[in-house]
Amino acid sequence: MASITLNNIKKTYEDGVTVIENLNLEIKDKEFIILVGPSGCGKSTTLRMIAGLEEISDGELKIGDKIVNNVSPKDRDIAMVFQSYALYPHMSVYKNMAFGLKNRKVPKEEIDKKVMAAAKMLDIESYLNRKPRALSGGQRQRVALGRAMVREPSVFLLDEPLSNLDAKLRTEMRSRISMLHKQLGTTFVYVTHDQTEAMTMGDRIVVMKDGVVQQFDTPQMLYNHPKNMFVAGFIGSPQMNFIDCMVKRKGENYFLSFGNYEIVLPNRMNDYLVMYDNKEVVFGVRPEDLSIVKGKDEVNSFDLYVDIAEMTGADYYLYGTFNDKKIIANVPSNNNIKSDKKYKFKIDIDRIHIFDKINERLICD
Amino acid sequence: MEKNIKKYFPAFVLPTFISFTVVFLIPFFMGIYLSFTEFTTVESATWIGFENYIRAFTKDENFLNALWFTIKFTVVSVITINIFAFSLALLLTKALKGTTFFRTVFFMPNLIGGIVLGYIWNLLINAILGVFGFDITYDADYGFWGLVFLLNWQLIGYMMVIYIAGLQNVPRDLKEAAKIDGASSFSILRNITIPMVMPSVTICLFLTLTNSFKLFDQNLALTGGAPARETSMLALDIYNTFYGRIGWQGVGQAKAVVFFLIVAIIAFVQLKITGRKEVES
Repeated sequence: MASITLNNIKKTYEDGVTVIENLNLEIKDKEFIILVGPSGCGKSTTLRMIAGLEEISDGELKIGDKIVNNVSPKDRDIAMVFQSYALYPHMSVYKNMAFGLKNRKVPKEEIDKKVMAAAKMLDIESYLNRKPRALSGGQRQRVALGRAMVREPSVFLLDEPLSNLDAKLRTEMRSRISMLHKQLGTTFVYVTHDQTEAMTMGDRIVVMKDGVVQQFDTPQMLYNHPKNMFVAGFIGSPQMNFIDCMVKRKGENYFLSFGNYEIVLPNRMNDYLVMYDNKEVVFGVRPEDLSIVKGKDEVNSFDLYVDIAEMTGADYYLYGTFNDKKIIANVPSNNNIKSDKKYKFKIDIDRIHIFDKINERLICD
Repeated sequence: MEKNIKKYFPAFVLPTFISFTVVFLIPFFMGIYLSFTEFTTVESATWIGFENYIRAFTKDENFLNALWFTIKFTVVSVITINIFAFSLALLLTKALKGTTFFRTVFFMPNLIGGIVLGYIWNLLINAILGVFGFDITYDADYGFWGLVFLLNWQLIGYMMVIYIAGLQNVPRDLKEAAKIDGASSFSILRNITIPMVMPSVTICLFLTLTNSFKLFDQNLALTGGAPARETSMLALDIYNTFYGRIGWQGVGQAKAVVFFLIVAIIAFVQLKITGRKEVES
């Protein structure tokens, strides 16, 4: 049983800089949680506080039912995989994996059994006598995972474990870690700045910015119902398009007016927009929710001059500028599209998100 | 391009090669040759084979005393200097206030010349021993520990700087991983920190070993070998043999060759042993 609870956690360094302000998280047992955000958002600090490598300035941290603020890392029943792998370079792979068990005075036969089982699971049996320097990046990463696994901890903490690997290996290791989580059935807390990793691996994702949790939700909810412009822009690749516009009302219907264009909003949004009549807002639409249309009188559409058309295989990424803002559209590659040409794009109004221009929070979607 | 550089190879190498030959190779081989001769000046050397070596070991008990004294001194100095220097380095790499100030203070004795240090500590030690009615030359043990203390005082700061450089290069992640792996502070020191600073250990052992073995000016200034040459180390003994005894120049030279061989063998063995323990990450 290893749920993790962070209650009003605060981290202030000796020089007075506060990096985490009032962090509250409730991580369930056996959940795969991703902490994601840009550099300096406090995700690694949060992980290090859970690990006990960083002191907590204020608040309460619980692992299971036990408050662990003042418990040393070794007694928290956790294992951690570092970005740099942190393998002991003077020890063989076997000794690296056995080190934690040896420190805990586990009998030799049991150590041997556990190391061999983990090595088999991770496919590193043939490297057990090698030193880390004789291994490739992917192999080192697997050894680091193995070292964490043999301890059979209640919580796995992973600090950007794939960031030193090349793209292909990263994809491979991503699924390997997800499989591992399923097989081990323990709580995983995983830090990354890569939103693709976050979306593909996590049961739930914590999006952080400047030490504050922006949203803590499932990948689907983050993608389809982001709570603010930061989350909307951070999650999804290519990122969501944002267009400044004005809310207008004609009879029972609300419109968004931008440039010479207008889009009619569905009636379900009416209640949310009452306060914003004749006010500026930002609407967000994901690249894949824009589609090319031919008809002149298409409603809810706008013209965009496409500067660059990138063919990625199945899709085209189309880049253009509208009212000084970059717009990206993602359309199927069966369209015959050329760059330096104007196209009409239809907006899927059922998929748009409207944000307050001042506090950047979601008004409705 | 590479071919052109190769063409000028002799021109680049020649100045260094000539200086190395004149100031090192010729005197070195000349010295070895002279150890097999009886001489007063270099021109008047007569070949006598191994006679000088035999005389050094059989007819001059001071040499074996000096050798034994030097070995004892080296063992004690190497151990104490490295333990203290490493401990200080550990202390001064912690995030404590004033570490930069203390690093400078501990390094300073190394900037004072050995002979000056010898005289200063001679005055200080004699002032203390004077209270009890004797001085450093009263007993060889006083001289021994005086020399150990002096060399510790002089070299600890220097070795500490090398250890600090090594300790600062130990990745923080490794210590943190060990902490999570359940290692105690002592276990982290033994299993992670020390293996990771082995390159520094190799350098410091080599420097302290050779410096202790070759100690001369501090020995001359602190005890001058007194009482009765009992605290005379190898270098001082060679100096006294060469300049202090007429007709013993060849023996002095033979002792110097033996001295060189001992230092070279010890240093070589030490570098091999500790070098093997160094870690490539």
